[in-house]
Amino acid sequence: MSATALNRLKPLFFVLLLLPMAIPFIGLNDYYVHGLFCRILVYTIFVASLDLVVGYIGDISIGHAGLFAFGAYSIAILTGPPVLNTEGSLTFLPQIPFLLAMVVGIVLAALAGLVLGFPSLRASGPYLAVTTIAFGLIINTILTEQETLTNATKGIHVGPITVGDFAFSGQKFVWIAYPAMLLVMWIMHNFGRSFWGRAFEAIKFSSIAAEASGVRRNYFKIAAFVISAAIAGFAGALFAQLDQYVAPGTFGMDFSVLALMALIFGGLRSNLGNFVGMALVVVLPDSVPAFADYRLTVFGILLLLALFFLPTGIAGLLKSIWYKFVGAPDHSAQRAELDEVASSMSGVPFKSVKSDGADVLSLNQATMKFGGLTAVNGLELKIKPGQIHGLMGPNGSGKSTTVNLITGVYIPTSGGVQIFGQDARKMKTYTRAKNGVGRTFQNLQLFGDMTVLDNVMVGLHLSFKSPLWKVMLGLPSVWIEERELRVRAYRLLQFVNMSHLAFSKANSLAYGQARRLEIARALAVNPSLLLLDEPAAGLTGGEIGEFNEIIRNIKKEGIAILLIEHHMDMLMEVSEEITVLDFGKKIASGAPATVQANPAVVKAYLGTDAVTADAASAAGAPKSVANSSEPPDGGTKGGL
Amino acid sequence: MAELLQLIISGTAQGMIYALIAFGYNITFSTSRTINFSLGNLLMVGGVVGFILYMDKATGQPLGRTIWLPIVAVLIVNSLLGLLVYKTSVEPSLKRNSEYSWVLATLAFGLIVRNLVEQLWSTNDYRFSSPLGDSPVRIAGVGVYPQELLIIGVSVFIVFAVELFRRKTIFGKAVSAVSEDKQTAALMGINQNFVLQFSFMLSTAIAGIAGILVAPITFVSASMGLTLGIKAYAVAIIGGLESGYGMLVGGLLLGLSETFTARYLSTGYKDTPGFILLIIVILFMPSGLFGKKVIKKV
Repeated sequence: MSATALNRLKPLFFVLLLLPMAIPFIGLNDYYVHGLFCRILVYTIFVASLDLVVGYIGDISIGHAGLFAFGAYSIAILTGPPVLNTEGSLTFLPQIPFLLAMVVGIVLAALAGLVLGFPSLRASGPYLAVTTIAFGLIINTILTEQETLTNATKGIHVGPITVGDFAFSGQKFVWIAYPAMLLVMWIMHNFGRSFWGRAFEAIKFSSIAAEASGVRRNYFKIAAFVISAAIAGFAGALFAQLDQYVAPGTFGMDFSVLALMALIFGGLRSNLGNFVGMALVVVLPDSVPAFADYRLTVFGILLLLALFFLPTGIAGLLKSIWYKFVGAPDHSAQRAELDEVASSMSGVPFKSVKSDGADVLSLNQATMKFGGLTAVNGLELKIKPGQIHGLMGPNGSGKSTTVNLITGVYIPTSGGVQIFGQDARKMKTYTRAKNGVGRTFQNLQLFGDMTVLDNVMVGLHLSFKSPLWKVMLGLPSVWIEERELRVRAYRLLQFVNMSHLAFSKANSLAYGQARRLEIARALAVNPSLLLLDEPAAGLTGGEIGEFNEIIRNIKKEGIAILLIEHHMDMLMEVSEEITVLDFGKKIASGAPATVQANPAVVKAYLGTDAVTADAASAAGAPKSVANSSEPPDGGTKGGL
Repeated sequence: MAELLQLIISGTAQGMIYALIAFGYNITFSTSRTINFSLGNLLMVGGVVGFILYMDKATGQPLGRTIWLPIVAVLIVNSLLGLLVYKTSVEPSLKRNSEYSWVLATLAFGLIVRNLVEQLWSTNDYRFSSPLGDSPVRIAGVGVYPQELLIIGVSVFIVFAVELFRRKTIFGKAVSAVSEDKQTAALMGINQNFVLQFSFMLSTAIAGIAGILVAPITFVSASMGLTLGIKAYAVAIIGGLESGYGMLVGGLLLGLSETFTARYLSTGYKDTPGFILLIIVILFMPSGLFGKKVIKKV
């Protein structure tokens, strides 16, 4: 079956998508339709909400049941009819319309998500997991103890949603739950393919590289938690309608764990996976009655097997079977289109810089201390516009610390950092990116699971202007923007001779390719100052030549470059000015030839007083050998 | 005054149980950088195995055996379970270098254990008679349960003994070396795999002892480990996962906050102050009260 034939089948897919709406007419058993199918639909929405946090952001939450409870209890308290709830001490039952109560529930859940999100900025792994557990337990305690508000363990009964005389009860609930699930899946689908989804994944793989690309980590993490919570609240509201009864027992830690299991079974970041995973968790105990008592054991074993033998879940398995059957996705059409559009454009795919003559960067007596260790000591460094400035020094001389001061990873202990004339001592990394600082990383920081093209798309993050609601609904303007910027990303790849690998995974790249991709991504932020942190480490001689060419082409557009390198010969070849560090102090600066002849530099590199320019130039050689033995270690951090 | 003292003693006893489990988390975290979420349920196994060998399920009376038999049995059973949880849930996650699969894997292991105990043993609650007697003794006008004093004594002893072992013996130093830097430790000839296995076995054995210790002041049931495990986890974070003695302080804080909230505010909310303290600690001192600060290198 070819791709075009599949495209012709697309309308059929949409018809199939509508089929479940007909289920209530078939006359199936109520238990199957309402008890199982509708339950799967509602719980799938809940799993999708969890996916946003676990699958996209890469944080773990074992407290999502608490968010689910906000939606469920809002519906129960605000719409529950007093006639059904005469027993408990709950008397506040205002009976407002369902939609209004649902909005209240979603807003409350989103606020709770905001609270849950803050710890995720400071803590991760085991620390965050326990916070989410505590969060869920606190909410569950409130549900059990605040009897006048929640009826405690007696629970609250809810009536069906009615429109005029028509009640969406029993099997008819499919007409509410199914479109609701499709809506959430549509939103998740759009998220996953937008700059929002890419920002989430970028943060998961390397928050420092994401920030350097202009992604505000804290903002997007909190946003993920808030949106996830809102969706969980939505699922909770539907749940109250599904069971027409809520009680604290439903919203315990077990439910959070079950949803996590369903998510892992099914596979992360997949609508199909969310649905299949939850369907298994709901249906399995019912389909094999002998399992009923041992269902947690069966789930436990299945989860262990899925974790270690099926890391992409059932959705991943189905996908690979599907690829075997119809062939792996073919990007040739997309590539041809990109090639065609790109060839009709001229000029460089990033902003050229017109200089006003002021220094782009100046460090004034910048000092950085870690406890008793002074990593950088009173450093003076100025970079003129459009200049290639080399920064060199032996291992431990403070080069990386200097880079971290310039990019905002560290705040200097004393002294000043000015970027484009602005005080940048406390400027956030993403603000620097916005102002025009691009950077690459000594230890490669690529987003390994994303394609090469998508890595550059993350670099273009600041160029995306679509508002969130449009992204969620997948409006045409969003797609137009996406397509335009995709072309620019592709042209950036052409600029570094990487366009032939546009659709490969970043973690499959060779070392030199990965280094060039980092440059393309850094150029995507439209920098006026580009920091290249040991870009030649681990490259072959031929690759270094190619690199020098790229660097000169960037310089041609007026972009200033700070080149941090061990490779003396490379620095000498491209730099106009060189600063040499040793033990955190500047020991020399000036034109390459002057620096090369400087006795202090020779001493720092060779450890002797043998003062000849020849010796100094030879010093580059052993260093470069040491560098090329460094293993490529970027982009290996995985999710689940 | 007498009441206050009584509250302090039962709060401390409760807190020391948390501290023991938290210490178990600390032991395995220091070697493997993972948290064994099944530890609460393995504590339950300790309580249940102890019960089966010491008490008569039908009559609810002690079988009249020595308490040492269940203690030895629990040590053996729990060490083996520790090895099992390491082999099935932790080792595969470490091999895959995946950041969170151990969370789910150890949670799953705990669920399996709990479910099997429920189905093969019982879903009911049972009383466990303290070998020291179940009636309070009067000390300076204060009624104190001997079991509570035993809990405090044994817990503090275990923590100090293991800490001493870690600091003073060559094997203990090997454990610290593995936690600092696995590769270098391996180059120094330390059998990393053995250290990891041993740390899991030690932590689950301690949890089993905690299960027998806590049984007389609560009930024995398949679900007894659930909340204990979670609260101990909170204690571990509050104290600072890296610090053994921090667990004692964290346990004390949580145990006392619980008994005092239960007495003066409301029994239903007794867990809440501890959890709020946890969230505050995470927000303002992410590495806990006694944890080491980590400087991130880029």
